[in-house]
Amino acid sequence: MSIRGKLFRKSLSGVAVLGVAALALTACTTSGSTDTNTDAAASGGTVTVAVVNDFTSFNGQTPQSNLDTNGQVGYLMGNYASAFSYIDNEFNIVREEKFGTFEKTSDDPQTVTYTLNPENKWSDGEPVTADDMVLAWAIGAGYYNDSTVDESTGEVATGTTYFEIAASTAGLDTTAFPEVSEDNLSMTLVYDTPYVDWELVNPIAQPAHIVAKKAGLGSATELTALLKGLPKGDPAAPAEPDATLKAAADFVNTGYDVTAFPTDPDLLVSSGPMVPTGWTPGQSFTMERNKFYVGGMLPKIDKLILRVIPDANAQVTALQNGEVDIINPQASADTLTALENTGADVLAGDQVSYDHLDLRFDQPVFADLSVRQAFLKTVPRQQILDSIVTPVNPDAKILDSQIWVPANAPYDDSAANNGSSDYAEVDIEGAKTLLAGATPSVRILYNTNNPNRVDEFQAIQESAAKAGITVVDAGSPDWSSLLEGGDYDASIFGWISPGVGSTGIAQIFSTDGGGNYNQYEGTNDDAILTQTTLDPDELIAIEKRMDKQMFTDAYGLPLFQLPGVFGVSKRVSGVEYMGNQTGPFWNFWDWSVTK
Amino acid sequence: MVSFILRRILVSILILIAASFLMYVMVGYSAQPLQDLEGSNSPNKQQLIDARVALLDLDVPPPLRWVLWLGGVAKCAIPFANACDLGSTISNAQVIDILPNALAATVQLVTFALVLAILLGVTIGIITALRQYSGLDNTVTFVSFFLYSLPVFLVAVLLKEFIAIGFNDFLRDPVIGTGALVVIGLVVGAIWQSLLGGDRRRRLVVFLVSGLATSGVLLLMSATGWFMNPGLGPIPVILLVAAIALGAATLLAGLRNRRALITAGINAAAAIAAYFVLQPLFDVSSAGTLFILALATIAVGLISGFLAGGYDRGQNMRVGLVTALFSGAVVLVDRFMQSWGALLTATNGRPIATVGSKTPGLSGDVWLAGLDTFVHLTLPIIALLLISFAGYTRYSRAGMLEVLSLDYIRTARAKGLPERTVVVRHAFRNMLIPLTTLVAFDVGALLGGAIITERIFAIPGMGSLFNAGLSRGDLNPVMGYFLIVAAMAITFNFLADMAYAGLDPRVRIR
Amino acid sequence: MSTPIGSGSTPSPTEIPADELAAASSVPESQGRLIWRRFIGNKVAVASIVVLLVIILFSFSAIGIGPIPGWWKFGFKELNPQVNGGDPTLSLVPQFLGGDGMSMGEHPFGQDRIGKDYFAMTMRGIQNSALVMVVLGLIATVVGVVVGAVAGYYRGMVDAVLMRITDVFIVIPALVIGSVVGQWFGSLGAPVLAIMLGFFSWMGIARLVRGEFLSLREREFVEAARVAGASDARIIFKHILPNAMGVVIVSATLIMASAILLETALSFLGYGIRSPDVSLGLLISSNQSAFQTRPWLFWWPGAFIVSLALLVNFVGDGLRDAFDPRHRRFKLSKMRETRPEPELDSQP
Repeated sequence: MSIRGKLFRKSLSGVAVLGVAALALTACTTSGSTDTNTDAAASGGTVTVAVVNDFTSFNGQTPQSNLDTNGQVGYLMGNYASAFSYIDNEFNIVREEKFGTFEKTSDDPQTVTYTLNPENKWSDGEPVTADDMVLAWAIGAGYYNDSTVDESTGEVATGTTYFEIAASTAGLDTTAFPEVSEDNLSMTLVYDTPYVDWELVNPIAQPAHIVAKKAGLGSATELTALLKGLPKGDPAAPAEPDATLKAAADFVNTGYDVTAFPTDPDLLVSSGPMVPTGWTPGQSFTMERNKFYVGGMLPKIDKLILRVIPDANAQVTALQNGEVDIINPQASADTLTALENTGADVLAGDQVSYDHLDLRFDQPVFADLSVRQAFLKTVPRQQILDSIVTPVNPDAKILDSQIWVPANAPYDDSAANNGSSDYAEVDIEGAKTLLAGATPSVRILYNTNNPNRVDEFQAIQESAAKAGITVVDAGSPDWSSLLEGGDYDASIFGWISPGVGSTGIAQIFSTDGGGNYNQYEGTNDDAILTQTTLDPDELIAIEKRMDKQMFTDAYGLPLFQLPGVFGVSKRVSGVEYMGNQTGPFWNFWDWSVTK
Repeated sequence: MVSFILRRILVSILILIAASFLMYVMVGYSAQPLQDLEGSNSPNKQQLIDARVALLDLDVPPPLRWVLWLGGVAKCAIPFANACDLGSTISNAQVIDILPNALAATVQLVTFALVLAILLGVTIGIITALRQYSGLDNTVTFVSFFLYSLPVFLVAVLLKEFIAIGFNDFLRDPVIGTGALVVIGLVVGAIWQSLLGGDRRRRLVVFLVSGLATSGVLLLMSATGWFMNPGLGPIPVILLVAAIALGAATLLAGLRNRRALITAGINAAAAIAAYFVLQPLFDVSSAGTLFILALATIAVGLISGFLAGGYDRGQNMRVGLVTALFSGAVVLVDRFMQSWGALLTATNGRPIATVGSKTPGLSGDVWLAGLDTFVHLTLPIIALLLISFAGYTRYSRAGMLEVLSLDYIRTARAKGLPERTVVVRHAFRNMLIPLTTLVAFDVGALLGGAIITERIFAIPGMGSLFNAGLSRGDLNPVMGYFLIVAAMAITFNFLADMAYAGLDPRVRIR
Repeated sequence: MSTPIGSGSTPSPTEIPADELAAASSVPESQGRLIWRRFIGNKVAVASIVVLLVIILFSFSAIGIGPIPGWWKFGFKELNPQVNGGDPTLSLVPQFLGGDGMSMGEHPFGQDRIGKDYFAMTMRGIQNSALVMVVLGLIATVVGVVVGAVAGYYRGMVDAVLMRITDVFIVIPALVIGSVVGQWFGSLGAPVLAIMLGFFSWMGIARLVRGEFLSLREREFVEAARVAGASDARIIFKHILPNAMGVVIVSATLIMASAILLETALSFLGYGIRSPDVSLGLLISSNQSAFQTRPWLFWWPGAFIVSLALLVNFVGDGLRDAFDPRHRRFKLSKMRETRPEPELDSQP
């Protein structure tokens, strides 16, 4: 009996276990839907683009998030370098008038009016209004900042920095609080001093209604009212920080930084043609068409996926394997051939960054013009170009201007007349004549971790030796911190030409410019003049004068533009080469997918 | 025991702190986090530099900054406070937020690689030890030395080039040529004959049968378009399951053990029944379902072994478990294969991936997702496991030879035990003892290897975190990586010691 | 083997590498001879060491060392005009087989993009890999032996402290600490890099040597030396160390093999030797994209890396066989591969 009872109990517990298991099993099943492709119904198709860095922020304009991928997402979302205008691959500013218009109504004082298309809506359905433009202006102008920074720690010493941006506030910082029209659709900016790059101002950034909400305000209008009520910040007399504006600024500064796809839909609100719909950190970022967008950059494709692939070779294999459609890898001759072999379309061109050799005017060895000229005459620019650039971009030519790149219209004329022809070819004999028996020794600073610079250095060293100039290797992996105040006579490094705009010119070529590492003073007046010259023709004339002056003074030599390559899968058409940071995305609305 | 563990943990924490100082200071002094800004021509360069200096406390010298960092880490020790502060990256992401994702990717990669390397390495090592100085042995010896001497990235590049792209190209027109069939048949035949051994006639027969069978099956597969629409189908499933049952019984208990045979038979029958009955359930399965099914499989294996009884229940349970697990795996593999078509559609007919760990935007059931993970992770895992596979082969072969030469094995043989029993029951366990130490070392090597593998296959794991951080001079993610990796190394060392003690009765933990 | 000898006679002066000579010289004659005979009997190992030396000598003779020029006409930094479009001019098919004859040509391995001779660069890469291998191996061995010997000999507090320090270093995977070291010192040239890497690779040897010392110090001959009044240093280096030489040499070889691969991996990640100096790893990683288009840029250095590592591994394996003096204890690092096991082969 007891045995039977034991057995009974055992089997009963067995049944119970089975029952629980069955229950758990049913609880753990899915509805059984087997649909695999969600976008089967859509017609425009999907394009996958390889990017090098992962996405980190929906606001790509803060100092910490100013990265290519963030900027590209911003471009697609309409909050960075798009909206009113965009830059095409010939570095023209193209106005996007379906979204809104802007015009300069007066030169003195410089006055610019922006008018929105009333149909514009954010991707949450809210209208785009002048409130949004006022917020963008407040962010870009640094109007309310009254802070001074302690140089040694980088911390704010007194006052408050509200909106932190990676770009300079120069230009907009001279504007007064903008005037807003009755219909709340247009905004007028008045510049105190003329601003040469006014056309690059794109006053759409983050949605004001979202920022207002995060700052505890009821509406975008209230935010504008708050901004209007606050005085311009004065670092000399810092005021008490305004708590609401600080809250708004903190949200704009860091609230958009994400490490996973946000659960808060407010962060995804976009005024541009695409809205983010998914992100697998480290792997892929998905965007889909914004159905509220009425502007002219309307994409033909439905979905755009940014795929993170840091390694250039991995990008090529991924394209070859059909995992991505567009790649923009760091180019080498072999990459190019490999791409051609895979049957992809290969678009080669110049990047906006260019390498250059600068001579330091404060070093004794280069005090003498003839020594500078002699040294520059030995620089084998064609050989460097042939070995580094031509294999990737067969059409590449030596860069012959300190100011422009060939994609800019004034380049050809300036290059022909600026005296760069004196250095077109290596002239050892000419160098020897100029040196008249002297055998100077030149220390060149360059980045030893960059193979291009190492090769450039070696080529220059070898060629200069023929003229009796000893080139000493002063290269360092720590080159960037040595640029200012390091012990060297000449440097090889790269600038990123913005392609458009003139702000960089004063930075590099004026005596006090932060990028004037070689202590050159010959173009100071002109460089400063460029910043306030609004007449385009006059501006070009000044810049040509500077270009010529620099070759006359043997400032140094521009070497070449880095070559760039896009690999494009045959199934995507409409992609065109672009050398700046926007990369292949610049004309995404032209892309279409062929089956 | 408890005091031993506590002591170990305390010492480990001290070691971790000291090593973190070493690492922090070294990276701190070598890093140049301002390089991109210093070389820029942005008008507000100084302002940007100031912002980064303020964000990362760059004005504090590294040894002092380490104290600040350690203070943040120490907050992790407060339970439930969620106050962990591992610092932020240059782009202002909290390291503690980005670590979990990276960790998951790497753990997935390294675990699979480790387990597979051990299984394959030890199996092949034992086989070569038993066939010492045979052609197979010499080949494996050479191959493992060769793999040992191969840079990881070379392997990875070759795998991508030939396996991924090659196989995907093959799928465009999945017909195996005659020449390839012949070569594959010859190679497979050669491998089998040296595996099974015997006299010349037996070898020849094995060679012919296995070679022809392989070529024949491949021909059939290629003729029926199997590669586009794979699956096992009922008859192969039954055959495979039967073979597994027979194999498990033979290997673990010997064919003369009727109870073991019965156990294996029950489990095989259960698997075949499951194959026919469970298909509708599979269609609505989630990961949870599969987990429960796996538990059920284990339970069935163990219980059937226990109920079959006999003089050695433990042995029967092992037979049951092995049969159940492997047969279950066959049934699962069959179901996974059925999702192949969907995957082909989703990837434009090129399923084997070279980057990432999943197809972006792919949404599907557990089968499709599982298959997708499989096609993404197979190549990185192979690249990773090849490094340690060679080590396991070498060491387990040598260990087996060493053990087999010991007196107690001689005694076992002398008293007439069958060779199977000698190898499986007497030698195998003792051979494993020294391997535990190797595993602990190997985890470090695999984590290192993952830095390269993740880079080549664009997998956003710990390795890419480290590499990106180090090359950009971004100290905090590098330290986050270090913390995890060092903690893993310490843990595995500890586990190895415990396993050692568990396997070797002579070792006592005090 | 329990009789220590200060200076044993050298077995035979033919092609034995320096470290092996050192080992053999400090081992008793009979033991040394036995090991020597075992090693010489291992054809693969002997062939490997010969080929290894030939490759290294070839690379040093080809482009010279430092200021001494070699027989090859180009240096590895020299820029030359592009010949044959940078393609390799090496021809190995003799004329009577319809080839162009056996000739090196102008640039046998081709040229890189700025016209540097790839043969010279590859030779320089071999030199640097050999340098990293030897320097790293020596430093790691010396440091490891000293730490392990002191810890194992003195035991107690000294042992505890030294072993905890070892633990601190061993916690960080080799490639991780290597990357950090490389990031810091890579641009200072191959010798500095090798030395610095050596200082972070000694942990394995230290542990092994410590283990050996712990057991050897209890032996009678140590007791005898101590009674005879020998100093600690003398006991450690003259009496115990020679008996632990087998472990040391074998692990040193294995460290050297992994040193080549470590440097290669570091170069791939960009933390190794920097241009314009050359290492095999740097060549192969900077020409990765040439894999499909100009495969020779990829395969020449690749073949040399694999060969060097493979050969060193074979030598290490041979040494391990030769040194394995004990049967009674199972120890991974002293595994024996060549013992005949006839009774095994006859088993079905």
